[in-house]
Order: sequence, then structure tokens, then C-alpha cells
Amino acid sequence: MKNKLTRYVAFIIVLLIILAPQYSTAQSFDYDRLYNIIKDYTVIVDVKIEVSFGVHTNEQADRYLGTIVTDDGLVIFNGLTFNGVRALSSFSGFTLKTTPTEIEITTLDGKKYDGEYIGVDRYTQIGFIKIKTENNEKFKPVKFQNVKDFKVGSWVTLYTLLPDFVNPPLAADIGMISTVAKTPEFFPLTVGFNSLQLTSVLFNEALEPVGVLGELNNPSSSSFDTGGLMESSNPSSNMTLLGIVTGDQLEKLIINPPQKGKIDHSWLGITLQALTKDMAQFWHLDIPGGIIVNDVMKNSPADNAGLEVGDIIYKVNGQQVDIDKEEKIPIFQRLISEMEPETSVEFSVLRRKQEGGVDSLTLLATLQKAPMAAMDAPEYENKDLEFKVRNLVFSDYLYYNLDSATFHGVVVSSLTQGGLADIEGLSMGDIIQKINNQPVKNIADVKEIMKKIKESMPKEIIFFVWRNKKTLFINVKTDWN
Amino acid sequence: MLKFLIGFIFLAESIFAVTPVESIQQDIYNARDRVMPALVHIQPVIKDYNTGELEKQAVIGSGVIFHKDGYVVTNYHVAGKAERILCTLSDKEIVPAKFIGGDPLTDIAVIKLDLSKYPGKIKVATFGNSDSVQVGQYVIAMGSPLALSRSISVGVISTKDRYFGSDVRLPSGEHTGRYNLWIQTDAAINPGNSGGPLVDLQGQVIGINSRATLYANNIGFAIPINIVKKVTAIILAKGKVTRSWIGLHCQALQELENYFGTNRNSGVLISSIDPGSPAEKSFLRAGDIILEVDGQPVSARFVEELPKFYSLIADHEPGSEITLKVLRNEQEYTFKVTTKQLGDSQGEDFECKKWGFTVKAITKQMQIDNQLPDTVGAFVVGVKPLSTADNGGLRRADVIVKVNNDDLKNFSDFIDHYDKYSLAKVDKVLLTIKRSGATRYVLLKIDNNKGDTLNEK
Repeated sequence: MKNKLTRYVAFIIVLLIILAPQYSTAQSFDYDRLYNIIKDYTVIVDVKIEVSFGVHTNEQADRYLGTIVTDDGLVIFNGLTFNGVRALSSFSGFTLKTTPTEIEITTLDGKKYDGEYIGVDRYTQIGFIKIKTENNEKFKPVKFQNVKDFKVGSWVTLYTLLPDFVNPPLAADIGMISTVAKTPEFFPLTVGFNSLQLTSVLFNEALEPVGVLGELNNPSSSSFDTGGLMESSNPSSNMTLLGIVTGDQLEKLIINPPQKGKIDHSWLGITLQALTKDMAQFWHLDIPGGIIVNDVMKNSPADNAGLEVGDIIYKVNGQQVDIDKEEKIPIFQRLISEMEPETSVEFSVLRRKQEGGVDSLTLLATLQKAPMAAMDAPEYENKDLEFKVRNLVFSDYLYYNLDSATFHGVVVSSLTQGGLADIEGLSMGDIIQKINNQPVKNIADVKEIMKKIKESMPKEIIFFVWRNKKTLFINVKTDWN
Repeated sequence: MLKFLIGFIFLAESIFAVTPVESIQQDIYNARDRVMPALVHIQPVIKDYNTGELEKQAVIGSGVIFHKDGYVVTNYHVAGKAERILCTLSDKEIVPAKFIGGDPLTDIAVIKLDLSKYPGKIKVATFGNSDSVQVGQYVIAMGSPLALSRSISVGVISTKDRYFGSDVRLPSGEHTGRYNLWIQTDAAINPGNSGGPLVDLQGQVIGINSRATLYANNIGFAIPINIVKKVTAIILAKGKVTRSWIGLHCQALQELENYFGTNRNSGVLISSIDPGSPAEKSFLRAGDIILEVDGQPVSARFVEELPKFYSLIADHEPGSEITLKVLRNEQEYTFKVTTKQLGDSQGEDFECKKWGFTVKAITKQMQIDNQLPDTVGAFVVGVKPLSTADNGGLRRADVIVKVNNDDLKNFSDFIDHYDKYSLAKVDKVLLTIKRSGATRYVLLKIDNNKGDTLNEK
């Protein structure tokens, strides 16, 4: 609805421009020149993906506009489909998963390449693919301009990918900078574009590539999950805000693209809440906002730095932490998360004393890699019984309130509908603790045990699982033919 | 084909029309006349705390008089949380009743009619023997389906040993069904039939109708009367049923006999042990097979045999010692377990009217269900939308452990704090809560000038 409206507005604007060219500079976009600029680095990305939810798996084919960003063939595209599902996957065994199975990249002059999926950035939803070339072919990548000054009312343009029954495949579209958002982050907003155009390269009136089309997320509804420690349930507005992911942001991503399964973000190891104005007043604290430390994970950076439950973080590296609403918590989480592991961070902390009053402290923490999310945990697939298991991760222990020192097992992460494991009673999310009375600590154990079992081809395999806070035995009858 | 079918039905009718149907018809009349006079239409007003405030709801159920002093048996989910109860007897006279006692685990409650102003004379229904009922036997369900009082429906017993496992919950949150099987019938049972009698053709009550199935036709369930007899006798004698608890969960052995090397029809498999339970302290563990309880052989090859085993344990006097002969790794061992009293499933409810939420005391069962470290504090049952508590960020299932700077010792400690602060009309209270194991702070900003002070005298 909103998109239609913005398109309609854009249409009217375009109409006005056509009718009254003397009032506008938009007409001055020279698309012949622009096409010449983009034709070397613009590609069409065809992806076959496998979408699985629980025991259901579907195949689908998607088509995206891609842009080559390095001379060795790194391509960016709209990775929303691959990443937008994280919110659902943070905890339970029910993970919605999208796995690219086949990627084909076609240049505008018709050359075809195979592509390798690299990963998706959790904040911008920009997806990364690497073109597979023989003998190290070099490409002419886009060079984003680091523009800081975005003027409200100035025009921007991009190319949009048309459906595959239309030729030529690209069409131009224009929009306008509508405002420059300062919070929750610096973000020039645009009108005139729609969500289907996400990650398309935006050009300013000088035909400089200034960034790509991105979406400004309401931080309170953002779907990233730093090890499952996020808690926010405030209702958010559904308005889609499109704007410019700027050149300097892109540069960081291009140098160090996100890789699936590789943990590249940091954590502090606390649960937290916002220091609201009311709360600050109640505790007689003269600061505009901050982070209340609710729990400190054992041996985490926070624990090692000496942070305590109830501490209030009000400065990070000397910078005021201006968080006075729950909705703003993701700003702090992102700040920590985006720093490199092993970074030293200085926290200014207020510690309330039992007898009243506060102590002011400065604590130095060395950040660590965030614990692995369930989604990224390594999996083992057993084809005989048709199930997949993954290792237990930090958030499992936290969510189920289990002791990682004494509780071991692997989580059933996927079951083929109608497969033996499914029919005989294993469930998604079951935590397998023993197989035929042999303890299971990780997927390597399962692989080893299942391999040995297969040699003797027994009629039944007994799984001892933890389900819904209780244990039970499950007899899976086998069919080795 | 259709013609043939119709012909067949006519044929069938004409065969049975001679004698049996007439006699069944007569039996139904007789049974009706014996039980209908004791049938009770029950209108309790129950207390519901789930929305964050105390809400009173009028509900409808059924019951049957089983004692000459005016005792009526019904379901716990009908009368268990009742504040006041009105009953309409078969002669349409309305009499008040009071709650005597109930047992959520078998969903049975007993209420007593106040007959001081009743002009008539009550009739008492007789209980039969549910062990001797047969699948296919005719039965009559009586009660108030959808509040339509004095209704009867007829069917047969579809199954007499239906098992539902221990995870069934009553609307008020209590577990039920661990200690009984169910009689399944195709006599129509609808909401409102709850607590009404299931009657055989001799006019004896063989079950108490308790559950129906949504989106299905004629699949209803009654609690066997032998369970009801046992439970009502205890309620009349002691007010409530006390059971022993050792913290075992068991599983049918049928599929696992080979794996554990057990004989057919021998032993009960322990599948899970509650943390901190007597069974855990006695070093029993999942995978042990109990062969004997106090020298008496036990077995549960099928799930339908589990309620009997659970009852055998539960029927011990709390605090008594049970001797279990156990098979572990094909060796026999003897364990002695001292039982504890099985506590209430759900704790006492309390409404924090001025703060906009409801809480309940944390029982051992709730501690296990919600994986809490202990039973300290107050469990949030509901938060009233847009209330002080809602604005402060309190949520259902939060556990309040601290009010301002005071650690709560127990539930009444919380109520004392609530009373103290609401009486003193403080405008800010800081609650420290636990949510999914994590600590949080909830600041309540209380507007003491709000209307509710006027409403409350």
C-alpha cells in the first residue's frame, strides 16, 4: 500500500517534471551515459533456493539485480530472503531455513558464470555472492563515492530489474532525498522507490554511485540476534522507510563480507534493559539514559571486566550512551556487536550502593566473539533415518535454563516428512542425549555412533531424548533396504 | 445401491422392532426415572485472574446428587474456583450450594446443596461399578449441554480405557488425568454437560462426563465412577485428596522390552525424574525398570496401565517409605524412597488491583513446569492492558522476587508489601523480576488519584 503510494507520488513528480522541466534538474540525468557506466558491473543473479520449515521443504527460483563490487568478482544483491528469517530461528528447533542450491550470474552482455553464496549482512540485508571464474578473470567493479552531504530535494536514480519476460531487463527509476534521518542512525531517506529495488545502486545528479537502496529498520523490531540475548516486544510501526546505505558503510562490508557460519561479531555477555527517565529519577541518577546490566554470563567479557548485576553503563569509550527507551536497546547491541572481537572497550558505570548513593567506576572489557546462533550451528545429516541434528548452542542453554556443565546432547533440527525418524516419533527440537545407551555430546558423536550402528544393521535404535522438560525413550525401527 | 441401503435399514429396523428395541426403550425410561430426579443444573460464578484483574464469570455445568445430605458431585473445572453457586434441581427449584472440596488431578469436585429453604425432597442417584462396564454397552448422558438443562442423550461406550497422558490441563492451569483413564462415549456431550452423570440402563451412574472433543462429533469422555467414588469419599472425609510424590514419569514398555531385556508384562519403565525429587535423591534414574512396589509386582506394557501404577505410588501416606525392586543393566536392585506430599498444582491467586496485575503463589509443580530455581516470589498470572504494570513492562509469567529493596521470602511477604505500599499511597514502586531466568527491573508509576480509590470505599 505504502509502496503504491510512494510510486504514485513519484509518478506525479515525474509527470510534473515532464510538464514543467524548467523547475527541475531531474531531467538532466543522462541515461545513455549512466548505462555505459553501469554496464560493466551490473549483473543478473538467478538463484535456486531450498526453503525448509520443520519437515517441509520447497524449492523456489529467485532473480535479483546484482552489482560487482570488487575486481575479483564479489557481487552484492538483495539478501532479504536469505536473512529475513533470523528472527524466527533464534531459539526453537523450528528453524525456517533458506539454502541457495544453485547460483547463476549473467552479465548485461550475456556472459554466464556460476556463483558461490557467501552470506548476508544482518543489518543491511545485503547479500554477497562470489563469481566463480577460471584463470582469475578481473572485473570492473563499482566504486562507491563517499558522499556525506545529502540535500533534501536532490534527485537520485537507479536501475530496476524487470520481470524476465521483458527485454531489455533494466528500467530506470528516479526518486528524491526526502529527509536525512539522524536517529536511530544516519540514514538519508528517499521517496519514489520500492522494496523490490533494494540493494540497487543509487546515483546522484552527478551520476556518482553514492550507495545502494536500503531500508531503515525500526530497531525495536529488528531481527538480529546476538546470541539470543535480545528482548523487545514493543509494537512497531509498519511503515517501510527506504533510503541510502552510504558508500562508507558499504566499503566496510565489501572489505569484510559476512560469511555464513562464521562468527564475526562481538558480545559482552549481559542481559540488559534501558535506563528510562523514570528509572533514572527513581534512583536519583543524573544521566539522560544508559544500560542497566540485568545479568552477567559467567566468564563472559562483562564478567571478566567486573560488571555486576544492577550496574548502569552510561558511557562507552567516553561516548554518552543515550538509551532511555527499550526501543533503543538495539543501538547499544549493534554498537558492541559491530566491534571486532578482542577490542578493548571502556565502560563508564554507575553502581548503586545498598545504603544509597552511587559509585562511579570505569571498567575495561575485552570483547569476545559472540556465541554461535542456533542457525549457524554445524549440522549432521543421517540419510538412513532421514533426520538432521545440530550442536547445542549458548542460546539453547539460556532458553531452556540448562546447565552447560552437566547437560549434553544434540538438537533435532530437521526431519524429513514420512522419514523413519519422523514416523517413529522423533520431534523437531528434541535434544538427543543417548543413542543405544551411548552418551551423545555433539554431532561428531552422533556421526560415529550411527556409523557403527549401520555396520550391525539392528532392527531398532533407541534414542533417549529430552523433550518438554522431561526425558523419554524412543524406539526407531529401521529399514536398511 | 442407495435403494439397497435404504431397504437394508428398513429391514434392520423391522427385525429389531419386535422385542429388543421395545425393551431398550423401556430401560431408557427406567434409567431416566431413577437418575433424572437427582440431576442438578449448576451455575457457579467462577473467579478468573488471567486477564490481570479479578474477573467473575458465570458458567454452566451439571452435577448429580449422590448423598442424602445434599452432596452433589461435579467437575473441578465447573465448581473448583467458584465463588458462589446456584443449582437448579430437577423440579426447577433453585437452591444455593457451597463448595466442599475438589481434586483437579481427577477433575472431581463436591458441592453441598443448602436445602434449608427447599420445599421438596431430594432424590439420590446410585453409583454403579465402572470396572464392569463393557464396550458397546448402552449409556445415557444427562446434563445441561449449552446450558439447556435437563437434557439427555443416548449412545454406547466407545472405549473404556482411553488414556490422555499427564500433560492435559484444566482451564485454570492444573494438570489432570495422570491418575485415571476415561470412558469414551458417543452419547452427545457438549459444553455444559461437564459434571453430569453417565448412566447405564440399570439407572446406575457409571461415570461423570467431563470432556468433549472440539471439531468432532460424539466423542465425549467421562471419569469412571470407581475413581469418583474413591475421590468423593476422601473429599467428604478430609476435604481434599492428599497424594504421595516421588517425582517419577514412566513410559510404556511395549516397544522397549527387547532393548531393556525385560519380560512381557513385567515392570514399569522410568522415563524421566523430576529434578530435586525424592526419586532423584534416592538415585533412581531414567531407564530403571520398577519390577515391584513394596513386594507387589507391577507392570505397564501399555500406556493404559500407567494411571494404575501412578495411583499405587500416590496412594501411599505422604512421608512413608516405599520399597522398589528395580532392574538396571539386567541386575536387580532394591531402592527405598521416602515420599513427599504432592503439593497443589497451582498456587493461591491474588489481585494487585491498584497496580494492574494478578499473581499467584509458586508451587513445586509450577517450579518444575516453569523451570524456576525455587518457589520464592510471586508468579505473574496476567497484566491488565494499559495499567501501571503494563506501562512499566511487566509481563505474564514474570516472577517478582524483590519489591523496592526487600527480597521476598514467600508469597504472603509479597501480599504484605503490596498492602503496605498501596495503603501508604506511594507513587513509585520498583519490582525486581526474573524473566526466563534473567533479572529485570519494572518501575510502577502509580496514579493514586485515579478513580479506583473512590470505587473501593
